[in-house]
Amino acid sequence: MSDSEQQQNAAQECAPQWPEKGEEWSDVEDGTEMDCGLLQAMAEEDEEINVYNEETFGMDLDSHGTTDGPGDDLQFGKPSPPTPPPPDPKPPSPRRVPSPPRQKPQYLPRTAPGHRGRFRGQRGGLGRGQMFEDPAVMRIVEGRPSIKSLDSAIVDYGSAMIRSNFEYDRLSPSYRKTRRISGSVLQDSAIVCVIGHRGRGQHLNSSFMDFPYPASTFRGRRGEPRGSFSRRQFGHRGPSQMHAPMAPGSPVFSRQPLTPRQLYNQPLTPKMMQLRFGANSPRPSPFYSPSSNPVQHLRYPGPVTQLHPQHKRLLTQKQRMFQRKLEGWDPYCNLMTGKEKEWIIRLQMIQLQSENPYLEDYYYQEYYRRKEAKMAEEELGIRSKREPPKLTTPYITKTDTYTPVVHIEGSLGQVAVSTCYSPRRAISAVHAVQAQSPHEEQKDTRQQRLEILSKIEKLFIVLLEVEETERMKTTVLSEAEEKRFMEKTQRKVAHIYSQLQHHPDSGGEFLPFLLVSKGKKLVARLLPFLQRDSALNVLCIVTSNLPTLMSRDSDEALPVLYPPLRNVIGGLTFSQLIGLLKDLMSSESLTTFECLTLACQNKFGLSLLYALLSHGEKLLSSGVPLEPSIGDFETWTDVIFQVAGQLSQCSLVEPLLLPSNLLTLFCRYLDKRTVHQLKSNMESATAFLALPS
Amino acid sequence: MSLLALTLACRCVFQLFYSFFKSLVGKDVVVELKNDLSICGTLHSVDQYLNIKLTDISVTDPEKYPHMLSVKNCFIRGSVVRYVQLPADEVDTQLLQDAARKEAMQQKQ
Repeated sequence: MSDSEQQQNAAQECAPQWPEKGEEWSDVEDGTEMDCGLLQAMAEEDEEINVYNEETFGMDLDSHGTTDGPGDDLQFGKPSPPTPPPPDPKPPSPRRVPSPPRQKPQYLPRTAPGHRGRFRGQRGGLGRGQMFEDPAVMRIVEGRPSIKSLDSAIVDYGSAMIRSNFEYDRLSPSYRKTRRISGSVLQDSAIVCVIGHRGRGQHLNSSFMDFPYPASTFRGRRGEPRGSFSRRQFGHRGPSQMHAPMAPGSPVFSRQPLTPRQLYNQPLTPKMMQLRFGANSPRPSPFYSPSSNPVQHLRYPGPVTQLHPQHKRLLTQKQRMFQRKLEGWDPYCNLMTGKEKEWIIRLQMIQLQSENPYLEDYYYQEYYRRKEAKMAEEELGIRSKREPPKLTTPYITKTDTYTPVVHIEGSLGQVAVSTCYSPRRAISAVHAVQAQSPHEEQKDTRQQRLEILSKIEKLFIVLLEVEETERMKTTVLSEAEEKRFMEKTQRKVAHIYSQLQHHPDSGGEFLPFLLVSKGKKLVARLLPFLQRDSALNVLCIVTSNLPTLMSRDSDEALPVLYPPLRNVIGGLTFSQLIGLLKDLMSSESLTTFECLTLACQNKFGLSLLYALLSHGEKLLSSGVPLEPSIGDFETWTDVIFQVAGQLSQCSLVEPLLLPSNLLTLFCRYLDKRTVHQLKSNMESATAFLALPS
Repeated sequence: MSLLALTLACRCVFQLFYSFFKSLVGKDVVVELKNDLSICGTLHSVDQYLNIKLTDISVTDPEKYPHMLSVKNCFIRGSVVRYVQLPADEVDTQLLQDAARKEAMQQKQ
């Protein structure tokens, strides 16, 4: 009764005669009918298998006449091998029909025994030989493109639905044949639902509509055996997938559910275990599933990818713009089920979980946070402020910690624990700093520059911490903590400031740093944190050394300083302003004319000058008591005249910002003609007309 | 379980570029591979190995790679990428600098 025996027997058959030996072959009535309707046979393969299942596992009370023991049950019930067997080439002749199933380890070795009577009744005349067709063999689907989609890998249900756009011809048997069962790694290829023939009106089971019915997203399978089994695993998503099946008339309904008992007779495949692994994870909505719309132009990176809400919004906008109808059915697109894909993706995502996303995923989080803030700002004018979207934090908190150094009781010394997070350090790279004697006169300029750059980098780190604390301050509410943060911040800021101020043997405070573009950026970002007088000091330095700064600004990085300096200027008193203007006019022992010429031809310089003048005008016209020092007003008028003369003569560059009250200022002191000339000169440089404030 | 351990081991490498490319998901990029093939497409997803999935791709060079004509989506292994050309306005260079500084700081620890 072994397989080999039967194989021999089968092989001996020249005609489709079943071997007479063995109890299995007791029924010989149909033995001679070997139909050549292979297509049909294959198409109805599963039907038989299912029937066999029911019968073997106790549903059917027909006497089998078989002595198949539980071993056979197992053998039969063993689901498909983990990898879908290659589509069996159709046997060239009917004769060979019996043999392939024999060689397959499982499928239908025992179908024949005793069931033929049933089959006959049900299949209405199909040759018995066909029941031995390999269920894994692709069936030819009439009118539908891909056979390969009906591999024992399961065609995605979702895609099938979408393919038909929910308007499939329900009565079309061909459609049904290509129906797919989603999430069906569990599904035996032998039990792959044969949709058509079953659904052909025979067993439209309205009970399918009942939800209490085992959450059979596996429609039409009489793999309802899995029904209750699957409910345990997929019950939570049963309803979600029921929506689609709820399309009326969906044909795939099982005939009758198998009892749960049958489930346990079937051995669990590795696949089942794998699915169990992922089954409890939240099931994404069908929309997000990549399998549901394979040819969508732009889809989500997968159900498990966590996107910043801003990012999500941008993507959905894009998606809406680029949606287009499906271009065609890709026969290779659904070799893995959605569940399998998710499982893999989830596995990969495990390692990306972090308990500190803002730190480890800094660029992404910060980028979209800023984008969001920007868009919120824009929208502020348009509509009332919406509630800020809450960022879903998908990240878990890791509770397991590791101790890098472990001391074992009774041992000498310590054991360094090397984990994947902290591999043992064999070499510690020490930052080599060359100690230069302070008396050395000639320093390599390159060395010096490197030193400065390295110092800037160190200070940048501190600055980043400061900014980080500042950002967190908005969330922290308690007073004591806030004070603590403030103190820490101030300490750090003071540290940076002092470091910038005093650089050994380089000219002037701040200057060496300001000459480097990175240093300019550092200062620009530091300025908002500085105290009033410190900031003023920086401004003084900048103004006094303006020509140098302008001439050595090859990267054109100076404009980065403009916004913070403008803020500082906004807080100046009149005397301070006058002082600055004086500095500007006579910086570095150049004549006023030269200074002004240089300033006019540099974007930053001109903008700075404008800003100063504009602030002066604001002060004067605001009516606030100015408390000027002696000679301030004279200096002021002097400046006005000199600047006006300069501005009207030389060509101006476009400033970063043209204050609107400048012309008013000039009107007050100058005659109309001069003002007019000034105006035209200034406006020729700028794109827009300065409206008098 | 060993698969899990292996994948976890890769976490300790720095995630700067992963984070950066994540922010470019949905944008159009051109990926030049080490075999000189240049593929233009929409960045669909990226992982910590910087494997890239592109959708709606087209080969930028005059089609001397005719076998790519029918390909719509592709998965590119991170190790074969030579360059990724990005839209300049989608990159915040200052933020990138800061992120690099933070990364360097973390690595030192």
